Amino acid sequence: MSQLAMVIDLNRCVGCHACAIACRAEWAVPVPYRRNWVKRLGPDATPKGLSFTFYPGLCNHCDDPKCTTVCPVDPEERVFKSKSGKTKKLAIRATYKDPFTGVVLVDKERCIGCGNCVEACPYGARYLNEELDDPKADKCTFCVERMAYNLEPACVRTCISGARIFGDLSDSSSAVYKIVNSGKAIRLQSKEVAIGPNVYYIGKDKDILLLKEKCTPHERKWENVKVPMRRGILKAAIRKLAKAV
Amino acid sequence: MKRRNFLKLSASACAALAALELKDKTIFKAAYAKTAATSPQLPGSLGAKEIPSVCEMCFWRCPIVGKVKDKKLVKIEGNPKSPANGPRVCARGNSGVQLLYDPDRIKYPLKRTGERGEGKWARISWDEALDEVAHNLKEVKKKYGPHALAYFDHGASAEFMRDIFKTLGSENYTNEPAFYQCVGPAALAYLKTYGYITTGTRQYVDMQNAKAMLLVGTHIGENVHVSHVREFIQGLQNGAKLVVVDPRFSAAAAKADIYLPIRPGTDTALLLAWMNFIITENLYDKDFVQKHCSGFDELKKAVKKYTLQWASPICDLPVEDMKKAILLLAKNSPHVSIHPGRHSTWYGRGDTSRHQALAILAALFGAVGVKGGLYFPTPVKKGHVSFGCAEEEPETPSKSISEDYYPFASTFGSPTSKIIEATRTANPYPIKLWGINGVNIIQTIPNPYQTMEAIKNLDFIFCEEILPTETAIWSDIVLPGATYLERYDSVYTYDLLTPYLTVRQPVVEPMFETKSSFWIARELAKRIGLKCFNYNNEIEFIEEELKGAGLTLKGLNKKGGIVAYEPNPYRSSKDFKVATESGKVQLSIEDFADEDLDPIPRFVPTPAPPKGYVRLVYGRSPVHTFSRTMNNKWLHNEVPENPLWVNDELAKQVGIKDGDEVVLENQDGYRSWPIKVKVTPGIRPDTAYMVHGFGSRSKALSKAYKQGVSDQFMITEYEDDPFMGASSHRTNFIRLVKAGKVINLPELCPPPKEIPRFSAKKTKTGGK
Repeated sequence: MSQLAMVIDLNRCVGCHACAIACRAEWAVPVPYRRNWVKRLGPDATPKGLSFTFYPGLCNHCDDPKCTTVCPVDPEERVFKSKSGKTKKLAIRATYKDPFTGVVLVDKERCIGCGNCVEACPYGARYLNEELDDPKADKCTFCVERMAYNLEPACVRTCISGARIFGDLSDSSSAVYKIVNSGKAIRLQSKEVAIGPNVYYIGKDKDILLLKEKCTPHERKWENVKVPMRRGILKAAIRKLAKAV
Repeated sequence: MKRRNFLKLSASACAALAALELKDKTIFKAAYAKTAATSPQLPGSLGAKEIPSVCEMCFWRCPIVGKVKDKKLVKIEGNPKSPANGPRVCARGNSGVQLLYDPDRIKYPLKRTGERGEGKWARISWDEALDEVAHNLKEVKKKYGPHALAYFDHGASAEFMRDIFKTLGSENYTNEPAFYQCVGPAALAYLKTYGYITTGTRQYVDMQNAKAMLLVGTHIGENVHVSHVREFIQGLQNGAKLVVVDPRFSAAAAKADIYLPIRPGTDTALLLAWMNFIITENLYDKDFVQKHCSGFDELKKAVKKYTLQWASPICDLPVEDMKKAILLLAKNSPHVSIHPGRHSTWYGRGDTSRHQALAILAALFGAVGVKGGLYFPTPVKKGHVSFGCAEEEPETPSKSISEDYYPFASTFGSPTSKIIEATRTANPYPIKLWGINGVNIIQTIPNPYQTMEAIKNLDFIFCEEILPTETAIWSDIVLPGATYLERYDSVYTYDLLTPYLTVRQPVVEPMFETKSSFWIARELAKRIGLKCFNYNNEIEFIEEELKGAGLTLKGLNKKGGIVAYEPNPYRSSKDFKVATESGKVQLSIEDFADEDLDPIPRFVPTPAPPKGYVRLVYGRSPVHTFSRTMNNKWLHNEVPENPLWVNDELAKQVGIKDGDEVVLENQDGYRSWPIKVKVTPGIRPDTAYMVHGFGSRSKALSKAYKQGVSDQFMITEYEDDPFMGASSHRTNFIRLVKAGKVINLPELCPPPKEIPRFSAKKTKTGGK
């Protein structure tokens, strides 16, 4: 099965934030929400020396996404088609993982804007766009819309130093496959949060140490969604009601 | 719960998903131009009309395309045809959209109604604004002579209006802070050593083919120029070794193989000791030196006294580390990039010499005109355009504020500090009118208190501006300029490793009542009565420039707005020639000796911090350009303020924690607004660092106002470079004030006896 993935090379990254802004421009993401970010880390001491590095982050399109499990919208059956003609029938909520690309997407038509998925993501990769009259959850799509026109994701296209490598992990000739299977790339996950993120990082030992120390999620946020879930749904309902009035 | 009636994805997303093609790894290689047809209904920036142009969020000027949907600019990307940056632009380039649509933009011509600096304005017509500027230019010239007019200029918008000041006959027709507050000393040193400006706006250093690189105080990565960063990273990817010399652990230092945390102000000591070392150890390129350099014997003699043992306590670096670094560079010579640096107005005295030392080091390694070394520009031909303005230099006054003070100032204009001094004191002659274009002088020139005092002495001050900066609020008339996205400028050529020719052209119509810089200059010239700018519009002279390159605007746009050329950066030993007077690389500069200046660099220490203080240094954030971008919605959101970096050991000793809020007090008693502290081992204990350009004092900048702290308002003490009159920016010291209590900072790296201590003068005006 295909899985789109990204490897970010911290040896190449200079922390210029072009990725974050190109994404904002491409998808008109309103400030202060973000689908794509750069966090500046250090300079800090590590056991491998002084490190000053970056956490360029985006949705991880996880193997086992938890954001899709907290969506309260009733599942609906949908037939997914691959380019080669294969089909697969799945019952999906308003946010789901595409079985043929591995990309986690939001079905904006059905999203009720309750914010559960936003609360659930341990990476903080989602936001509820309250700038809209009818707020919706939103997030990185790996720019699947652009791929239809043979264009790489906006963040990859603008990356000034070529630090973002994008491709299909099921394709053994792809650069991402080669890097990930070399064992050099790391994923930001912990004992508590091990849901298979598909954004990988490579870099100097010291930089990877600092990145892991500062940015690995430990909180199983999706397990706390129960109460906010009701609150979120209520909020969404009130918002709708208010608009109707 | 009520479920939404889901039918299917929106038509466009559906089409996108259906067309997904994943198995081919060449998936993204299709030519960009052949993709989505222009169709504003497509998602994101897909289907936008693409107009090629040139960025000016900074002055590297990357080729771009503006992506326009329904007459609105939705996105900026690099011009995919550009051999330098391709489809890439940096965060600032991407954010040009928000300069264009900044709600704080100056929309109409404005006339000051309150006091200067108060920011009270009335909207006036273009006729009234231009008439008033023209009247004052004529009046001041009549009353005080042409030199009473001074022009502060920077960037493309400033170029046309410069001709007006020149034609009016002022010797002060250009005093670019970009030169006198930034690249001047380095540019002069390289011009005299190699006969061309190896570093100024651009740096001709072949990092992508280097086997080793040396950066002295240069922080590539925080200073982002796309093609330059790409070449740096490519060099590292190819396996080049990197030596970084910097009191602060910069983004570049983070990628270094050897990092030398040098004591500020002692770089020349290190460079001189390294020169002596490679000469004594016979590690220099004898063949290159013999064939292509002059002054070697003098150099050898002059640097003899500078040993690594001597430099060690001065630079606060172990001899072994210094030796390891120079051996690494020597081992990889001649394919070493001795980076010439860029911003070089650090300490006043010694700035030109420091860059001269870097220039000499490159020559000793033979790292010139070879792969990995300094290289030669590849000129790209374009047609010459004469606007009919004065082409001759204006007549100099009996006492010039340029050449009579600094022998090498006039090559580049009039020193900023001298303009301000003459305006304040009328000595040697009065300056009574300032025109300002493309530069926020209050946040650019040391001692803004002095600058504001000078402005009060003027009969008239006007500016062409895009945003209501401090400079705008100190002006009598503000002319609203169109941004680089709304105007033509001229044809741009790029003479680095990937030469090209391109043109700036509008991607959208000018907004509000803003006008192009050419239109403003032309209208102004007309009103003064100057026979100038004899073209009706920009397109007429752009066509003439293009004609010289065998092109037309239409033809160029058909090619995607850009034409690439073959580079010619290297020279064989047989063809090696430089454009100095001797035709050789000058290791000793006679022109300097003729003016009683050091022909060969000499170590002149800059005073160490007074007891209780640390040195204030500054640098750049990759998402900001000087003080120009702090009001940009997207960039402000990325980096809204500038924390003060304080050494962790020092912070511990005085009980300061990461995130604490403090006020800075400089050696003259001036105080800053509150600033957050970033505690880090990545800075020396005798130094504090912040990013330049924050802390705007203009209330009219709704996002930038009072965000972070201005380094400029802490820089009240400066010294001029004796060669060309540039002002120093790293000669100020701060201590901290926390919760109203002054904290004296302990001295963890005391200077050796060779370095005198700065003696604080009496507090100037009681502090602010």
